[in-house]
This record gives sequence, structure tokens and C-alpha cells, in this order.
Amino acid sequence: MSARREFSKLEQVVRHGRPTGDLEEEIRTHLEMQEQENREAGMTPEEAHYSAQRQFGNVTRAMERSREAWSWRFLEVLLQDLRFGARQLRNNKSFAAVAVLTFALGIGATTAVFSVVHGVLLQPLPYGEPDRLVDLRETEVAPGNYPLSGPDYIDWQAQNRTLAGSALYEWPETMNASNGGEPVTATVVHAQANLFRVLGVRPQAGRDFSTGEDAEGRNQVAILSYGFWQRHFGGASVLGQGMILNGKTYTIVGVMPRWFRFLMPADLWTPLDMGPKTMGARGDHSFNAVARLKPGVTLSAARADLLGISQRLEKQYPDQNEKTYAVLRPLDDVLTGGWKTPLLILLGAVVLVLLVACVNVANLQLARASTRHREMAVRASLGAGRGRLLRQMLTESVLLALAGAALGVAFAYWCVQLLQSVKSLPIPLVKPIGVDGTVLLFAIGVSVLAGVLFGLAPALQFSERSLNAELHAGTQSVLSAGHGRQMLRDGLVVVEIALTLALLAGAGLLLRSFAHLRNSETGVDAHNVLTTSFNLPEATYPDQTARRRFYDQLLARVTASPAVAAAAVSSEIPMRGGSNGYIKVDGATDPALANQLVGWNFITPDYFRVLRIPLLKGRGLTATDAEQAAVNTQKLDELFKKAQGSGNVQVPPDITFVAVISQATERTFWKGQDAVGRTYEWNGAKVTVVGVAGDVKEYGLRAKIMPQAYMPLPVVLTYGGGGAHLTLKTRIAPEAVIPTLRREAKALDATLAPDRLQTLDEVIAEDTQDVSFQAFLLGAFAALALVLAAIGLYGVMAYLVNQRTREIGIRMALGAEPGNVLSLVMLRGTRLTLLGMVIGAAAAFGLGRAMSSVLYGVKASDPLTFACVALLLAAVALAASLIPGCRAMKVDPIIALRYD
Amino acid sequence: MGKKQNGRIELVYGALDMLILQTLRWGPAHGHGIAKSIERTSDDALKVDHGSLYPALQRLLQEKWITAGWGVSENKQRAKYYRLTPAGRRKLAAETSRWERFVEAITGVLKPTVEEGER
Repeated sequence: MSARREFSKLEQVVRHGRPTGDLEEEIRTHLEMQEQENREAGMTPEEAHYSAQRQFGNVTRAMERSREAWSWRFLEVLLQDLRFGARQLRNNKSFAAVAVLTFALGIGATTAVFSVVHGVLLQPLPYGEPDRLVDLRETEVAPGNYPLSGPDYIDWQAQNRTLAGSALYEWPETMNASNGGEPVTATVVHAQANLFRVLGVRPQAGRDFSTGEDAEGRNQVAILSYGFWQRHFGGASVLGQGMILNGKTYTIVGVMPRWFRFLMPADLWTPLDMGPKTMGARGDHSFNAVARLKPGVTLSAARADLLGISQRLEKQYPDQNEKTYAVLRPLDDVLTGGWKTPLLILLGAVVLVLLVACVNVANLQLARASTRHREMAVRASLGAGRGRLLRQMLTESVLLALAGAALGVAFAYWCVQLLQSVKSLPIPLVKPIGVDGTVLLFAIGVSVLAGVLFGLAPALQFSERSLNAELHAGTQSVLSAGHGRQMLRDGLVVVEIALTLALLAGAGLLLRSFAHLRNSETGVDAHNVLTTSFNLPEATYPDQTARRRFYDQLLARVTASPAVAAAAVSSEIPMRGGSNGYIKVDGATDPALANQLVGWNFITPDYFRVLRIPLLKGRGLTATDAEQAAVNTQKLDELFKKAQGSGNVQVPPDITFVAVISQATERTFWKGQDAVGRTYEWNGAKVTVVGVAGDVKEYGLRAKIMPQAYMPLPVVLTYGGGGAHLTLKTRIAPEAVIPTLRREAKALDATLAPDRLQTLDEVIAEDTQDVSFQAFLLGAFAALALVLAAIGLYGVMAYLVNQRTREIGIRMALGAEPGNVLSLVMLRGTRLTLLGMVIGAAAAFGLGRAMSSVLYGVKASDPLTFACVALLLAAVALAASLIPGCRAMKVDPIIALRYD
Repeated sequence: MGKKQNGRIELVYGALDMLILQTLRWGPAHGHGIAKSIERTSDDALKVDHGSLYPALQRLLQEKWITAGWGVSENKQRAKYYRLTPAGRRKLAAETSRWERFVEAITGVLKPTVEEGER
């Protein structure tokens, strides 16, 4: 037909939509056709017109009804399905409850993990144009990226042409803050005045630091964090008020917004003195910096620009700047880089849990479907199409999933609240984490997907053929109908077991890593050790003598307590890292040693006793060593002050020091020879090794042992300021000594607040917090999956026994022993479990491989872990099929045969 | 409108759908054509209220039993043509057999009464 050829492309598209716009035209044509026909039949035009109208009836009404057909039908059917679905679920409360709860757990856990992934990895940094922000570091002779040298930074800042701005900031300092009353410790970050402007953030109240405030004498202003403002000022108006930080009065000029966090947690910010005194020597690397690229400048262009400047500086200062080049990295990567893999592993794991949950619900649906089969058959024979039935089933399972999601989101919300309340969460919290719109959309999307995906399996079971068969098979057949259905259910259980094994293996590997870390040698005896730190303000403790007096008196006071066995003061404690540098061993020729960093720790004599660090050779440090070090450091300091800026300092040969070195230092620098009595050069002065101590994990359990040198404490008290750690070996539980410690410290100086009062065990636990966090979460997910899989397997076996009650009855009537019946059930359960475990082992191996970067001390294919989790799973699976098995044994043949 | 006009039978709801599908078995047709065809093939016994045809057509479109597209009529008028889809063809077959069973059953029920009356 010619008309057909004229169907335009556009109308092909339109005809699937709502073609009511042209209805009016269509009806008009209809009327015209009728009119013409009437005229041809001999009517007058007027008659023809009215007759056509009469025959058609009410045009407006016809149009209305045509339109209604489109606009309401979809909604009507949906409502009908929803009403029916809700009624079905109400009639089957236990099924609905189990399904909703299962979905809620799966979706809730997934949503909670996703909200963290979204918060940490997906969201941009909450600063102005975050793509242009970069983190600045420097290389050194030793491999790796290091903090910046102040003078290098000043040169970069002056000479670059690619940065719109840059801001220097220090590591947070713990200061004694007071408002006239009891002092509190406050974490303070000293930063260049433009830090917030570079980040593109503004205080929520008051003003930003103004240009030029980052100079000595002008920098006694402070901006508070929202949290500190709330905690210590109750959110009252504070602008213009003074507060005392380490003895000096600062004026509060602003409060940052609640959401603002930057890298390291801070209570308040003060301007850094950008003068040469604070900037220090060119060879000292102790600052951090953030910079903003000029608009349109690429990262590589900025890298090239700063590399050029670094290379010029290297030529200019060959002694201090050898191989010292600028390193620029996107700020976002620096913040979240290390968390990508662990978080993605967690997300992957929780999706597996969700899958197990979905499979379980699908299995429940299948079980229910078999009892609903006749209902479906009847509905089909009453004219419901297959699609309509499918839609009804899907509506029901999506309804379940959405109900689960609602509960799950509440659960996720609670989880996120819980996460945020944890004091030291081992995930970066620079970006806000929460259940926001995106996360909600994610949850809804996931639940609809889960509902459709796992409602489809049972729904597809209703093929029209099987429906007919069902209707005709008036009663339950002896060998039970639905062989295919049982296959599908078996398959789902196998999948469940496989997923669970993979999760269990992943959790097992992480737990083993954690155990390995916790049992690994720290080099110290952490039992009954209490640690804290003090920061002596410069105003009241201006020099070495004053600082030494304080620490000597503190030690005398605390050791007077019978609860304290020994006490020491040190510049560093294990796990927390610390300062480091280079030494020149007299007579050493190996050029690689010039690149070898050595960690410094400045200690009082009893440090080795408190931590039970073994002295392997020679002797420890004595009070005499401390006296000598105090005098010599003073002289050295004066020499350096006099020579300020003039470069090299000639250290007279009478200024010498002694040190105890670690085993690793001896091994590295003296290649297995006895180092006691040998010397090396440090800051131009000669240092004699008097002893060798055992190695200590100074940089954390996972870090490699690094060479370490111990020198007397007064050295650091001269040039390093008044901050130091106090460690106590206690005779009673260390926590019980805290009041004594506080009291003695207060008696010495009431303006000081001991900071971070912790046992050494807690310090070590903190170091493995990220691993324990991951292991805990993955373990929880695996446990959840295990429970779900057990329920799933139980369900299938119980259903099987139920379906085959008659068969079992016949068998028993024919003389089968209960044992035979039990083995019939158990064999089936075992077969499913084994099949699932074989598949799961392959999946677990893959998961382990993906996780290898977060594992420590165990291989991804650790046979012990695999064997343990397989045994655990097998035991649980056995138990899950034993219960239905026992029920099968108790089947009474008489009753079974009367069944139906 | 009267119940019976000139011995014409008014259609039960839903039957119109079947009649439309049946009509479209012979090829695409426009609304007016469908109405005429139904009237003609039933020897004008079945009365089709032309206005009720359109909601029915929309219903069928929605079920995807028919499709629609613009064409040109015998009189060179722009008219919308409806065509049966494979799904519609299946539906028609199913409905026809259902209808036949229904008629058979009803006839079976009604027959004895007639016989009784004759006896």
C-alpha cells in the first residue's frame, strides 16, 4: 500500500510515545469521511454534516477518553500491582520481614561504605577550584619525597611564573592554650598568612589573616576551628578576644566553617613567622606547602618551572641542595592516594555481601514462588499475560528492595554517624562524609537494581507451559514438580557459598596481616609503659637551662612515686617517626652511605631501661654525657649564631659528643665491624660511638628498620625548643599512674597541660589502626555473608525435605533406614557446598591478589588462611544442612503418605 | 441512546477490541474504515459508536497490539492508519479461541433448556 511507504521516520518514533496530539486531526478526518459518504448516499450537505456528528457521538468525550487511556493506565497498573504486592507481603509477614531485613543489611552496608568512598574518593576537595591545588615537596640525596626547606621555598615563591599563589605551613604543634583558667592542649598549625586564600576558603566569622601578619611581632593573631570554638568558647562571640598560647597572648580574629579541615587536624591556626630565623638553614627540611596553579597552567608546566628553579639552587648551594628538586602533586592525590585501594577493596567486599543478600532473597522468592505457582496459573488462565505476571512479581521484589533500602539507609546513616564519632578514624576526613543526595540516589539505584535482578529469576520461572502443567497437576506429584526450579535454587546456593568463601578468605588474610603486625617485633617492651608529651613555652622556658631544669624536676617527682619503676624524657617515641639526617663516618668509603638517613633521638639516660631496649655492646648514656653535651651544644649553638648566613662553620676539635647507635646503624655504616669507640661527623662535630642498642621500629610497624642514633637530651633542648616526650615504666597498670603524673606536672607548672596521655600499647595500636579497621569491617562483612549463606543453604535443604516428604515416606515405608535418609539430604548439601567452595576458592584467590598491597606478612594465597576459612565454611554449611536432615529422619511414613 | 435500534446489538466492553483486531487482520486501515468494516461485515447488525472507537484504538496501541502511522487515504486525505503487530495477531488468536470456548460453554448451558421446552 502506498500509504505505508509514507510513514515517516519521525512518526515511527512518535508512535511508541503518546500519539494523542494529532487525535483532533484524526477525528476531524473521520467526520469528513463520514460526511462525504453521507453526501454520496444522497443527503444534503447540512444533513450529511449532522448525521456524521450524530453517528460519532460526543467528540470531546471521545478525545478525553482516548487521552485518559494513555495518561492513567500505567499509573493505574502500577498502583494495582503495588496494592496487590503490599497485600501479598502483608499476608506473608515472616517472608516479608526476612526479605526486607536481608535487603536492609545488604543495602545498608553497601550504602555506608559507598558514602565513605563517595566522601573520600569521588567528591572534589571542598576548596575553591580544587583542580588547581598542588602539594609541594622536595627530593633529597636519599630516595623519597621530603618536607621543604624554608629558604628553598622562599626562592621558589619569588622566582616561579606558574603559581598563582603558595602557602607554607608547619606540622601541627601542641600548645598549651588557656583563657585564664585551666590550660588545655591545642593542636596549632602555623601557616603563611595566605593559606586560606590559596585554598580558596574563608572564615565563617571574622577575618582571614591579612598580608604581612606572617612576621614576628605581628603574628599573634589566631583563627579558631569550629570544633575548638564550640568546645572551649561554647560558640560565643570571640572575635577580638585574647587567648594565651604557650604564655603569649594572641587575638582571635576569625572562626573557620564547621566543615573545614585541612590535611592534619587542627584546633587553631596562627600566622607563621616567615623571617629567616624561623625559615632555618637551607639544608633543613621541615615545612609543608600548598600552591595554586595559575589559570590555564598545566601541572607539568609548573613542574618544569619549579624544577628549573631547583636546579639553579642546586648549582648555587651544592653542599645543601644536592639532588634537591621540587615535587608537585595534585593535592587530592596526596590526600586520598593511599586510601584508594583499601576503600575500593571494602566497596568490592560489601557489594559481594549485597549479592549474597540478594541471592538469599531470590532463593526465598523461589521457595515462595513454588507455593504461589497455582495462584499464578489461575491468574494466567483468567487472562493475565505472562508480561503482566512478570511485572507483578517484579513490583513485589522491588517493593521489598525499596522497603529494605529505606531501612538500610537508616542503618547506613547510623553507621556513618558512628564513624564520625570515632575519635581517630583512620580515613582522611578532609571532605565531608555523609548520607547526601548522591548517596541516597545510589542506595535507591542499587535497591531497584537488586529488586529487579533478583525478582527476575523467580519471575522467569513462570513460563506459560509450566503454568499449564501446574494447573493440570491437581496435586503435588510424588517426585515433586519443578526440577528446573530446584536446579536454579541449587545454583543460587552455590553462588552464595562461593561469594562467602571469597569474603571469608579476604577477611582472614587481613586478620592475619593484623595479627602479624601486632606480633611483630617492635624492639621495645610496651608492657606497663605510659607516655605523654610536654611543650614548654618559649616565654617561660627561654633556654636550655630552664628546659633541662623542668624535665629534671619532672623526672625526680614522678620517679618518687612507688608506682613508677623508671622514667625518661626523649625527643621521640617509637612508632611516631621523628627527625633524621646524614652522618659522615670517619674512614668510610662507600658512596651509598652519603644517601643514608639516620634517625635522631635525644634521650635521658634511663630511656633504654624504661623501654627495655637491649644494650648489645658498650655502655649507655650517662648523666656525665648529658652534662658534657649541654655545654658543648651551647658552644656549638653560639658558633652557628655568630656565623649566621656565612655558610660553613669550623667546629673546634674540643667540641665532641657521644652517642649510642642502633644495630642497624652499625651494620649499615661499619659493615659488621665493632662500632664502639669509632667516630663520625655530625653537624661538623665529632661524635664517638659508646654503645650499640637493639633496633626499634621508630617509624611504625610496617616501615623498614632505619639506622638510629641516640644522643643526650640537652642537645635538642638547645636548638629544638621545649617539646619532649615523657615515658614511664610503671609497676601498676599505667592508666592508674595518670593522676599522679597530672598532679606532679601541675605542681611544677600549672600552665602546662600534658598532651596525648597514652600507654605505649595504645601508641602501637594506633599505628595498626588502619589495618584493624579494614580487618574489622571485612570480618563483619564476611560474618554477615556467612550467616546469610547458612540461612540460604538451610532454606534450600529444608525446602527439599519438605518437597520430598512423600518420597522420603515411601522410601522409609519400603525399608530405608533413617541413616539413608539423612545421607540423602547431607550428600546433597555437601555437594552444593563443595561446588561453591571450589568456585569460591578461585574467586578468593583473585580477591587476595587484588588485596596484596594492603596485606602484610602474608601471601595472597596463604594456604593456612584458605584452609581455615574453608573449614569454617564447611562446618557452618554442614550444620545448616544437618537440621533439615534430622527432620527428614523423623518423617513418619504414615503421615507422609497421607499428605496432600 | 436506546438499547436496541433496528435490531442492532450493542457491543459489550472489550468485544470492540477484538473486532478491531479482527478487522486489521486484512491490512492497515484508518479509524473510519475500521468502523465501516465492522458494520459491513456484521451486515450492520453490530452497532459501532464511532466515538468509542478511538479510546479503544488508544488502548490497543498501548498494549502494543497495533501500531499507527500517518498515510494518505483513497480520497487523498491525510489519515492515520492502524496496523496489527505480531503480538496483536497472537492476542487475536488467543481471544478467538477463548471466545469460541465461551460460546460453546454458554451454548452447552442454554441448549438443555431449549430441549426441555420442546419435549
